[in-house]
Amino acid sequence: MFLISEFVVLLGANLILTQALGLSTLFIAAGSRKNLLWTALTISVFTTLGSFGACLINGLLPDKLYDIRLLLYILVIGAIYVILLTVLYFSDRKKFGTTRKYVHVSAFNCAVMGTLFTVSEKSADNMGAYVLAGAEAGIGFILAAFILTAAYRRLCSKEVPASFRGFPAMLVYLGIISMAVYALL
Amino acid sequence: MNNRCSILDGFITGNAVLSGFMVISPIIVCGNTIMNSLALIYAFSAITFLSVTIGSFIPKKLSFGFKTIIHAVIASLVYIPVKMAAEEFFPGVIERIGIYFMLVAVNSIIVVQSQTKFHNMTKGKMTVSLICHILGFDVVMLVISAVRELLAYGTFCGRIVDADMFISGLGMPFGGFILLGLACGLYRSIVPSVKNDDIAGGGSNVSDF
Repeated sequence: MFLISEFVVLLGANLILTQALGLSTLFIAAGSRKNLLWTALTISVFTTLGSFGACLINGLLPDKLYDIRLLLYILVIGAIYVILLTVLYFSDRKKFGTTRKYVHVSAFNCAVMGTLFTVSEKSADNMGAYVLAGAEAGIGFILAAFILTAAYRRLCSKEVPASFRGFPAMLVYLGIISMAVYALL
Repeated sequence: MNNRCSILDGFITGNAVLSGFMVISPIIVCGNTIMNSLALIYAFSAITFLSVTIGSFIPKKLSFGFKTIIHAVIASLVYIPVKMAAEEFFPGVIERIGIYFMLVAVNSIIVVQSQTKFHNMTKGKMTVSLICHILGFDVVMLVISAVRELLAYGTFCGRIVDADMFISGLGMPFGGFILLGLACGLYRSIVPSVKNDDIAGGGSNVSDF
């Protein structure tokens, strides 16, 4: 019962299915399971570490300077972006050509930035809650990636009418899953 | 002729939303009334045009990663005056749109396509192509939101119309997913030059980065 309730909570916190955040990135990565998994994992790293930065910014920034929050969040994500690329470069230079593309795709998109804003609006002023919410959003992205992967081949197969094959069919499919998630909440 | 087509393709054959699958989150979640869509059209048009134009002065020698960060920073700086003006033009609507107003500043056209597409053109061609891409988004946003407002709430621009049938689910995000999916399918069947294997990000793929 605990696992079921946790699963429902994860679905409810899923930013793709409930808020359509990160769809473009999901579709860019949908070409292969490997791409989808690595992109989802990289996005989880960004959302988790980014939430840590968002908590610090929200704690220090006065309310009247609310509008520069976007700029500060972008600087935080930019710093994580550079650090991740540097770590990947020095950890394995041979594979850097392959691994860097996941960082490029995952850094600045609605999934990551949307998570930071959503987490900031929902979480209390404690670091643990922020980081947990950021990690949950990342896991939610992985879950949505798996849900899409499960149907990807069929939605791109010749059984689907040519004009709906691929991404239009995926949008309708995600819409039906999203409807089911709304019914659960 | 082909050159002219490639510049203007952002409006029809290379539509950012229906062909490139970019900037679709605001349409799905906030594109359920015309007032919301007008505010988002204003934000998207102003932020994208100014950011990509200013970004065209960034030296091309810089690495992709640094240019991406600089583009995002420029967009977040442009966002501040755009938001201040929006509070005058669309009072009350900005609160309803919420985070999606800010997220327009990190759209794929600014962050990715500016480097891979627009900044490889001459300034004149870039401006025309950029305007076509922006108009392509604007038209789709307006049409989708008008249909959703009419069918979900029975109103048009906030005015009640004589409608017999309501599909309230179309006002929800899942309604946006389904309607946009159907619109994409319809668009592909009408515009034959759009390939069925077109991929998101205006033809971008993970392996392109």
